[in-house]
Amino acid sequence: MTASWCWLTLGDDAPAGATAAAPAWDAATGESAGWLALWARRAKPSREARRVDGRLLDRDGAPAHVSLVRPRPGVRLLFDDLAVQQARRDVLARPPQDAVSTLLSDASHFEGAITVARGAGVARLADDPFARVFPRRLLRVGAGVLGSVPAPAGPTIERYGSAQPWPWDRFA
Amino acid sequence: MTDPVAARPSLAAGGAFPDLALPDHAGNARTLSELVAGDPAVLQFYRGWWCPKEQAFFRRLLALQDEAEVAYCRIISVSVDPPPVTAAFRAGLGARWTFLCDPDRTEQERVGLRETTDTVNDPYVPAVFTLAPDLTIHAAYNGYWFWGRPTNEELRQDLRAITRAIRPDWDAPTP
Repeated sequence: MTASWCWLTLGDDAPAGATAAAPAWDAATGESAGWLALWARRAKPSREARRVDGRLLDRDGAPAHVSLVRPRPGVRLLFDDLAVQQARRDVLARPPQDAVSTLLSDASHFEGAITVARGAGVARLADDPFARVFPRRLLRVGAGVLGSVPAPAGPTIERYGSAQPWPWDRFA
Repeated sequence: MTDPVAARPSLAAGGAFPDLALPDHAGNARTLSELVAGDPAVLQFYRGWWCPKEQAFFRRLLALQDEAEVAYCRIISVSVDPPPVTAAFRAGLGARWTFLCDPDRTEQERVGLRETTDTVNDPYVPAVFTLAPDLTIHAAYNGYWFWGRPTNEELRQDLRAITRAIRPDWDAPTP
């Protein structure tokens, strides 16, 4: 089984060496939220970086709205926590968004999620099931970093090999 | 010209199920092989939301859902209902798997699963298949009469047999 993930960062400055990056703004106020970047490499680019499904990376991706769920520093939950399991069930039960991936840094802990929406999906982004687990930010992200990913097939909520961000499920 | 009936695949155990290409309940183009995604799968064809026998059978599948979601198994349901109808039915059921929609009946013709006794709705004839990841049919169930449909215990037995055959670590690695 091959790994299929990349690193995600949200930093203040334009990142040097990222595979793809775009400026981000707070969706409500329009204020700058820094730069969202994806890094397709094994080495962790920064202490705050987290793994996401590698299929999110698309240098030709259109601008998107994003729900970025992150715990406060030092906080994380096991993927097997019932709250995390139920959030994944809710994602599967609802109309799919353009892309979704959990965030993680090891094989067992849920450390947030990113949901990408465009078009009619933007209005539904306000009710992100993962936002019931940890705080979230609603962002607008520029072009050239986030793509679209086939919706999870369900009903599987387990991850393959544990180190994979859900819902990576070996779609071609 | 090829006779479409003669060209239909055998849908018996051991045969290869055709790689269906249909929109899902949200209107996204999907293929069966993509949805199976390397796992054992239950592929269900049903008449439509309106059929009380289908509603009864879906309650059975819903009872299996919690097991399938932790057992690396897939469930896929197919009907001739269009995506908006299917999405509403799926949401009402509380199903978390993918439904495929064949309102043009293109794949229904290809696989030969039209219920010829219903000339009003032209639905799929109820049928259930358990599939290996390469779409090989492990077992086929004819659900025209309700008692022809698999019980959840039969589905569990099928999924166990397929999983045992495809997972090289079925016997847990030992130190």
